[in-house]
Amino acid sequence: MEEPISRYEKIDFLGEGQFATVYKARDVKTDKIVAVKKIKIGSRLEAQDGINRTALREIKLLQELQHINLIGLLDVFGQKSNVSLVFDFMDTDLEIVIKDSSIVLTPANVKSYMIMTLKGLEYLHQNWILHRDLKPNNLLINREGILKIGDFGLAKAFGSPSRINTHQVVTRWYRSPELLFGARQYGTGVDMWAVGCILAELLLRVPFLPGESDLDQLSRIFQVFGTPTEEIWPGMKTLTDYVQYKQFPAQQLRHIFSAAADDLIQLLESLLALYPPRRCDCTQALMMPYFSNKPAPSLGPKLPMPSNVTKIEVEKPSLKRKLLDNIDGGSLAKRLQF
Amino acid sequence: MDDQACPRCKTTKYRNPSLKLMVNICGHALCESCVDLLFLKGSGSCPDCNVPLRRSNFRVQLFEDSMVEKEMDIRKRVLKDFNKKEEDFATLREYNDYLEEIEVIIYNLVNNIDVVGTNKRIEQYKKDNKELIMKNKAKIGREEIELEEILENEKQMEEFRRQEIAKMEDEAKKQKIREKEALIDELMFADGDAKDILNTFAQTVANKQEEVVPLLPKVTQFSSGVKFTRGSSQALPIIEEGPLYKYEPLEIPDRCGPDPPSLEEIMKNGFLHHVRAENETEKAGGYTSTLPCLRALQDALSGLYHAS
Repeated sequence: MEEPISRYEKIDFLGEGQFATVYKARDVKTDKIVAVKKIKIGSRLEAQDGINRTALREIKLLQELQHINLIGLLDVFGQKSNVSLVFDFMDTDLEIVIKDSSIVLTPANVKSYMIMTLKGLEYLHQNWILHRDLKPNNLLINREGILKIGDFGLAKAFGSPSRINTHQVVTRWYRSPELLFGARQYGTGVDMWAVGCILAELLLRVPFLPGESDLDQLSRIFQVFGTPTEEIWPGMKTLTDYVQYKQFPAQQLRHIFSAAADDLIQLLESLLALYPPRRCDCTQALMMPYFSNKPAPSLGPKLPMPSNVTKIEVEKPSLKRKLLDNIDGGSLAKRLQF
Repeated sequence: MDDQACPRCKTTKYRNPSLKLMVNICGHALCESCVDLLFLKGSGSCPDCNVPLRRSNFRVQLFEDSMVEKEMDIRKRVLKDFNKKEEDFATLREYNDYLEEIEVIIYNLVNNIDVVGTNKRIEQYKKDNKELIMKNKAKIGREEIELEEILENEKQMEEFRRQEIAKMEDEAKKQKIREKEALIDELMFADGDAKDILNTFAQTVANKQEEVVPLLPKVTQFSSGVKFTRGSSQALPIIEEGPLYKYEPLEIPDRCGPDPPSLEEIMKNGFLHHVRAENETEKAGGYTSTLPCLRALQDALSGLYHAS
């Protein structure tokens, strides 16, 4: 076996997460730029269980998955007691795009991002895997304008009749109401809700439901969609963490998203349905009129990119120079006018 | 105006007519060259009250009384956060109390009364109303953009109308000249009575004027049409033409086995009788018994054929 350490040349440090450090590197063999995620070994206590659980999930699942809109796991190598995962290198992510106020997102851009997200997610769901951590930050974009779903640290197989899942998944702002009510058995609805929140964020350019706590999150949801009743959401009261909320009236989504067309509102309503069985799945979503209607989705290379190039400031004439000019120039003469 | 003087170099408006007084947040004035001198070393503080200053905060003094300048600065700063509107209050009384509070804060800051306490009050208010402040800021920003849009629009229309009128006047002048020439020609070469010719000309000119008058409103209508075409020429990114999206089902990989039943077949053919039905809680969480049924059948049927 060849030495993996020498195969990847470190170029740059990209970032550090809870469990891993990410480097930009060059694959010497193929001369491709890749991202190397080096899993932190952690404390002795964590290390005694063997390899980190999130890394194990990523390796286990991504090895078998291959889709243009999912991040590709290219290689895994060990070095001493460390494990490193090698991924496709991605230039940016959707969070950066949304937050960059110099970028104008056209309806065609939004549609294109949604199609790529839903296609990747459809593939994932068809293979019985829930992502469980969808957020703009995990939707990676490369310079060709291709969006790939990344970070499979919380992904898990679903559709087992007996297995209990934790409800402590998904970043809070994108967490669905059934998870917030503590559901232990759930389906693709948890990912669909997150997609709905991401779509809303693409339109608003700020997080749609930025809850400050789990309880606040639910109350924000209900303030928009109205507090559900037993007719709207049968069995809601039997969920583990159910709490009674104040009765909020439902708001019209078209008032919140005043610039959105009717077909887009229809998609949002279907993605963000409170009762999980009523939420659409990826295939249903992609077949909705919004996607086939005009405007056509932007092609990858036409999608906006944040300008990482630092702007060079226009050189100002130095202050001393200006002062001298002033003295030599007319101002001094004027001052002597009596 | 003549007694305007820089407190540092004592230059007066009289001695230096180009004297420009600048003020900073503390309300003390300095002349332009003293400001330049002050920041020669990099940073500077007010020579009067020693408050550290930033060069970018210096503005040209508009009012003679520098206290007014100071208040303007403070008001601008305070109102940036205290941006509630009348709609945000339930009663007029509350709104008035709120306005009063703002005035008290500004007065205190301008006259250096309990500055620390007042600043604390502002901070507290900011913390309590973070969300509303953000929301209102966004709203104001949007309103401003809309207003600018309208102004820009009006300017464009005005310009267009002016051009149109100029064009018409020009046209009318030319027309008059042409008519005059025609009249002279007619008088020169026609054999009829000169009086008759003059009369018929006067009549046709009058008729023409009547024709021209109703043209005017038409033109203004057209200029409102200009607004429409301008909308598309705005600096928005050009909408790129691409093919419309059409859903294509995912390619199913070779299962090396018979095709598993579809969801409809599972429901119709009673497969679900052999799977534990979901209970109420599970259903409320978005789980259905079709999921494990579908998955188990897919798993069972894949890889059944012998693959060499």
